[in-house]
Amino acid sequence: MTCRVPLCLLLRLRPIGLALRGVFVVVLVLSSASTTFAQVNLSGVWDNLGILHEDWPDRLFGPELGDYGGVPLTDAARLRADTWDASLITLPEYQCRVHPSDYAPSFAGFRVWEERDRDSQQLIAIHIHHFAWGTERTIWMDGRPHPPDWALHTAMGFSTGKWDGDVLTVYTTHFKEGWIRRNGIPRSDRATVVEHFIRHADGLTLMTVISDPVYLTEPMVRSREYEYLIGGQIPPYPCEPVEEIVRPKGVIPHHLPGTNPFLNEFADKHGLPHDAARGGGETMYPGYKGGAAPAHPGPAGPVNPLKIDDVHVLPVVPGTFMVVGPNGGNVTVQVGKDGVLVVDTQAANVTQKVLAEIRKLSDVPIRYIVNTSYSRDFTGGNEAIRKAGSTITGGNVAGDIQDAAVGAQILAHDNVLKRMTSIAPSAWPTSTYLSDQKKLFFNGEGIDILHQPAAHTDGDSIVFFRRSDVISTGDIFTTTSYPVIDVAAGGTINGVIDALNRLVDMIIPVYGQEGGTLVVPGHGRLSDFGDVLNFREMTIIVRDRVQDMIKKGMTLEQVKAARPTRDYDPLFGSGDKFVEAVYQTLKKGN
Amino acid sequence: MSFLCLFVANLFSQTRAPRDAAPFDMTGYWVAVVSEDWRFRMFTPPKGDYPDIPLNQAGKNIADSWDPAKDEEAGEQCKAYGAANIFRIPTRLHITWADNNTLKIETDAGTQTRLLRFGAGASPAGPPDWQGFSVAQWEGPASGRGSGGGLKVITTRMRPAYLQKNGAPYSANAQMTEYFDVVKEPDGDQWLVVKTIVVDPQYLQRSLIRSTHFRKQADATGWNPTPCAAR
Repeated sequence: MTCRVPLCLLLRLRPIGLALRGVFVVVLVLSSASTTFAQVNLSGVWDNLGILHEDWPDRLFGPELGDYGGVPLTDAARLRADTWDASLITLPEYQCRVHPSDYAPSFAGFRVWEERDRDSQQLIAIHIHHFAWGTERTIWMDGRPHPPDWALHTAMGFSTGKWDGDVLTVYTTHFKEGWIRRNGIPRSDRATVVEHFIRHADGLTLMTVISDPVYLTEPMVRSREYEYLIGGQIPPYPCEPVEEIVRPKGVIPHHLPGTNPFLNEFADKHGLPHDAARGGGETMYPGYKGGAAPAHPGPAGPVNPLKIDDVHVLPVVPGTFMVVGPNGGNVTVQVGKDGVLVVDTQAANVTQKVLAEIRKLSDVPIRYIVNTSYSRDFTGGNEAIRKAGSTITGGNVAGDIQDAAVGAQILAHDNVLKRMTSIAPSAWPTSTYLSDQKKLFFNGEGIDILHQPAAHTDGDSIVFFRRSDVISTGDIFTTTSYPVIDVAAGGTINGVIDALNRLVDMIIPVYGQEGGTLVVPGHGRLSDFGDVLNFREMTIIVRDRVQDMIKKGMTLEQVKAARPTRDYDPLFGSGDKFVEAVYQTLKKGN
Repeated sequence: MSFLCLFVANLFSQTRAPRDAAPFDMTGYWVAVVSEDWRFRMFTPPKGDYPDIPLNQAGKNIADSWDPAKDEEAGEQCKAYGAANIFRIPTRLHITWADNNTLKIETDAGTQTRLLRFGAGASPAGPPDWQGFSVAQWEGPASGRGSGGGLKVITTRMRPAYLQKNGAPYSANAQMTEYFDVVKEPDGDQWLVVKTIVVDPQYLQRSLIRSTHFRKQADATGWNPTPCAAR
């Protein structure tokens, strides 16, 4: 304990006899007994069902549609909420979407327990189990750093905590997209959250401060109350999706901008001015009497979630790694007794660094390179990495092709080869497939290389490591940009959506939208089901908006001027190129 | 040595004036940021709309007969500005030490003043008033995990008033316990968090527990004293 009291410092400077210390201890015990000492061990079950005395009915039945009051939301967030359709959560893949950690405690109780090192009794972590969806989170108390930006994001996020006096302060990053209110007001995956757990006697106040540079103009603050439940139990919360409504694959319920008929229900029901219910930071302060909050377009450019300074390796599952770098797409590396298989090779200017990182993982030969498309940020390192590897060969192949064993094989769809004829042949695929699938068995697992026609390009492949349960998507899926549709190379919006639907079919989460199959995107962070769903949702919504505008006879310039991506632009930047590609391919019937 | 330090610190704090023993500084200007119960706090809800408040039948009967015109006529426009609800009003706070033993909290909304008296005994005799009689006590540091602690305040002798602007009542028998804490954010923001527990066997089925947050202001910007409004 740090002693800051002057008298105490004085005592520290002067040796005190053992007998005198004994007297002090006795007096201390007596003195403490008469002093109010709060209890700051948070362990136990905390409940709020009896004390939902704030934010009714949000916290039990759920928020009302069109209720944005008290939320400092941006225009982009308001549009997302306006176009949100509650039917979305009837989709099987959305039914078990869990409440994120900055939302779950609003609804019901949770259990807290400590994890301590057995020998030192040092606090390693504080764990919380929420009743809502049975989610669990860990608050690391051992001073460990937060993971790199490109690590997996989750609904719970990554939390570290420290004691500020008697207050546990928790800092959380690495969120999946969540919501400020489950009536469509989004909280982005770029948000950070600070929580303060404040215990007084048998009461707990949890103050949550959400900072979201994408969808909030200032922090969103909540303070919730809980009561300690002696002998409390948290019942299980199983969730198994069912087909509530039979829909065609890939339908995302949403309202086109300006068409949601339910937005004023909340204000009308409670006698509030319509403008006031639309929210905005100005509506939260003393003196506000109604009227629309000023426009808050949000950040001018995308809020970049990734700061990649160099080439780095992230373990995905044992034997499979994701290599990220400042240039080019992600690389997936599978390592085992048979050798090394590499999916994509990044841009040429970082190839040596990529090779160096692969060599740190294993010195077994590089046997295969798989290209998910012809794009130079995926094939730039083909030549160098191929040269660093070798192919096992024999029989008539070895006799007929003298250099068959030289270099690793480069596998790709045949359309990739067709689009690489303008570059040096040494970077070309050495083995192409023409049908919809190529199968490989390597390092003890089956690997599906699945052609996805007319998506990012006409030669895209999805690479599925079946035992590892890892999928490399190439540029069909990214977390950092709108879909990149290379129209000149045969890419189409509906091909992208078909590919995303296929990914959704292939991925099996552990629970809700998380865990299970892991996804290495073309660009961006390691992902899983929820990330792909969010990306597909955005892609389909924008497609539908552009389609509607085309039906109305709008020109490309008019469509771009209407900014159908404006609620996603703070995430991904200008949507002009994407909109252009969507427009062009839809006009062609693709 | 840690125990010794704690003891001496404890002894030392007991001899210091409450103003000097404060584990955190509450003084200055604070602004309510109404992000919870927004529709009940920023606007006056209609009569009978009090789903958050655990009123018993007697309390509901009172609330359902709310008539702001009668309150105005009786000169009781400040019934929603009593101690048990004043922090739920969208207001700014100005907190100062009135003396070494008394923390003063002024609100611009309704121009109310609360006095939190450290070391005060039982409430002196006298008529109840909107802000009641508040006895304050610093808590902690409790855990030995660092400096800190909170402020606990018990308020009695409150004049019957409202827990919400539309007439949800509390009685003269109500007692209120409050905990004040100050937390700091990485961006430098400071927040005052006030947890309020109102016990009123006359009108409440159970204790009403709410917490309200205020952000620290650098100065008096926005301070705008306004009279109580019944509607």
